[in-house]
Amino acid sequence: MLISLQDITRHFVVGGETVKALQGVSFGVEKGEWVAIVGQSGSGKSTLMNVLGCLDTPTSGRYTLNGHDVQSLDDDALAKIRNQEIGFIFQTFQLLPRETALSNVELPLVYRGMRPKERRERAKRALDQVQLSNRTHHRPNELSGGQRQRVAIARALVTEPSLLLADEPTGNLDSATGEEIIRLFEQLHKAGHSICLVTHEPKLAARCPRAIRLSDGLVVADGPGPRVAADQLSMPRAAS
Amino acid sequence: MIKVDLFEGGKIALRSLGTNRLRTLLTTGGIAIGVATLLAIVGIIQGLNASFEKQLATMGTNSVYIAKRKFGGGSDSWQEARQRKDVTADQMNAVKSECTYCTAVAPNIWYQADVSFLSSTINAVQLIGTTEEYIDVSSYHLAKGRFLDFSDDADQKSVVVLAADIAESLFPSSDPIGATVRIDDHPFRVIGTLERRGKLLDANWDKAVVLPLRTLRGYWGAGKSLTLIVGIDKAENMDRAVDQLTGIMRRARKTPVDRDDDFAINRPEQLLDLYKKLTGALYGVITGIGLITLIVGGIGIMNIMLVSVRERTREIGVRRALGARRRTIILQFLMEAMAVSGVGGAIGTAVGLSAAKIISLVTPLAADVQVVTIFFGVGFASMVGLLFGIWPAARAASLDPVEALRYE
Repeated sequence: MLISLQDITRHFVVGGETVKALQGVSFGVEKGEWVAIVGQSGSGKSTLMNVLGCLDTPTSGRYTLNGHDVQSLDDDALAKIRNQEIGFIFQTFQLLPRETALSNVELPLVYRGMRPKERRERAKRALDQVQLSNRTHHRPNELSGGQRQRVAIARALVTEPSLLLADEPTGNLDSATGEEIIRLFEQLHKAGHSICLVTHEPKLAARCPRAIRLSDGLVVADGPGPRVAADQLSMPRAAS
Repeated sequence: MIKVDLFEGGKIALRSLGTNRLRTLLTTGGIAIGVATLLAIVGIIQGLNASFEKQLATMGTNSVYIAKRKFGGGSDSWQEARQRKDVTADQMNAVKSECTYCTAVAPNIWYQADVSFLSSTINAVQLIGTTEEYIDVSSYHLAKGRFLDFSDDADQKSVVVLAADIAESLFPSSDPIGATVRIDDHPFRVIGTLERRGKLLDANWDKAVVLPLRTLRGYWGAGKSLTLIVGIDKAENMDRAVDQLTGIMRRARKTPVDRDDDFAINRPEQLLDLYKKLTGALYGVITGIGLITLIVGGIGIMNIMLVSVRERTREIGVRRALGARRRTIILQFLMEAMAVSGVGGAIGTAVGLSAAKIISLVTPLAADVQVVTIFFGVGFASMVGLLFGIWPAARAASLDPVEALRYE
């Protein structure tokens, strides 16, 4: 089991009031799975994504990622897990604007302490994987939106993480470019990568083999992507 | 891992300086001004000290001065010191016969008078009344002719030895030896001239004439109490010699056992202590001003670093998400702060040293700048950067990655 969540809660105190973003979420993800996490805004999916990405720690519950008991780790150890186990792909790409595509992709390897020569080679290979080997020395503002997201995907792939964590990866792209990125995900899935994709777009969820739907901080549906997505298209109903 | 952090931190810092050139330059200016001020001040102080020490050496390095009073007054009360017995020829003879570390003993009395030759007159020349041994205990060297001898003093001869300025002014083109000069209208035969010796504060050793002690007393009746200039054989015997001389003087002056010394054995270094006491407070204040300037510069650094942290909140979030630890972020911003202030320090060092140099060229102040000062300048500036960078860096590292990634 790659991911195991057991009764995860996450409460925030905002202005004296407790907001229960996650109210006991449990599910598991096997290696090589491609799971979409869907839900409307406020459903808790962003919080869940932060917990999965070890950027945030749950208020209670147990989270195991690739054998690591995440909730018991300190800040440095979490940084190491993020570096080694997770490849982040953000809606807004989050590339460093002053760095070239190649340096952006190299960055996680820098924090791993890898030698410059080796990490440059690996970064080039990762850019090759996303068909951007001819854009290595371009800065983000010299690239199109789709190209930027592909650089971000290369940056996520370069560490050979056990989990790719994508947050609305097509949210800032037009539909044709979005389609391009989804195809890339399909290829990565076929190549054996484990992917968690957070989205509010049913169309995107329908392309995933499995989808989990959150509502008010709880899992309300878990099944094949097309079915869960279809549920969402019709009126939401209570979990069976 | 820490090596990677340092290397990456340095690279990021330099790049960040490059992208905000104007801002960096302005911030750097504050530190540069502080360092320049401090270095110019330190340079001038070092120069003044060095020149004073050089002046002090004109007193003769291995000599002590026995007199009624301490140099610079010291802690003696004026009243008590006035009532002290004179230092006499008998006491000098006691020193001469009993002191085992002493190479020579010369009595000194002083007076001021006008010295003239033909139609040229020099006013207020220092007359030094002494004996033949003076040449051995002072740092005067004979240039031409001869110095005083035993019979000059014993017979109260009207002979005189001219110091360099007097000889050059009165005899610009002729040989002074054998000529007759007038000192306050008394005729004196010139028997020798002296090489340049230099100045001590406002006293010019080269605007002086040397004549037999008894002759000076005979004409002017001046200087009842002698100052004994005693040459000591070796520098390392100085303390023992002073000890011995104290005993000899107390016995010769019949100082009661229960009384403190009613005379002083002065060493040239005492003048240095006095000088340091007088100037120390002033230097402290000036250096304080320089430091305050540097602190103002440091606050500028802190301000700009806080701006930098805010501007790069998202970047910090991304770096944290990709596996940067808190200390990596801290190091990145600390190195940036140190780089900004280090550059400022380098500029300030260049400006400060140039300023010190210019000041020493156009004013009588002699600036003395040592190589270590340069490292001190850059190093000190970097330390200021480090110090004032801690808070902004800690703020950067304490950002919540989730919040930082969302920051617009």
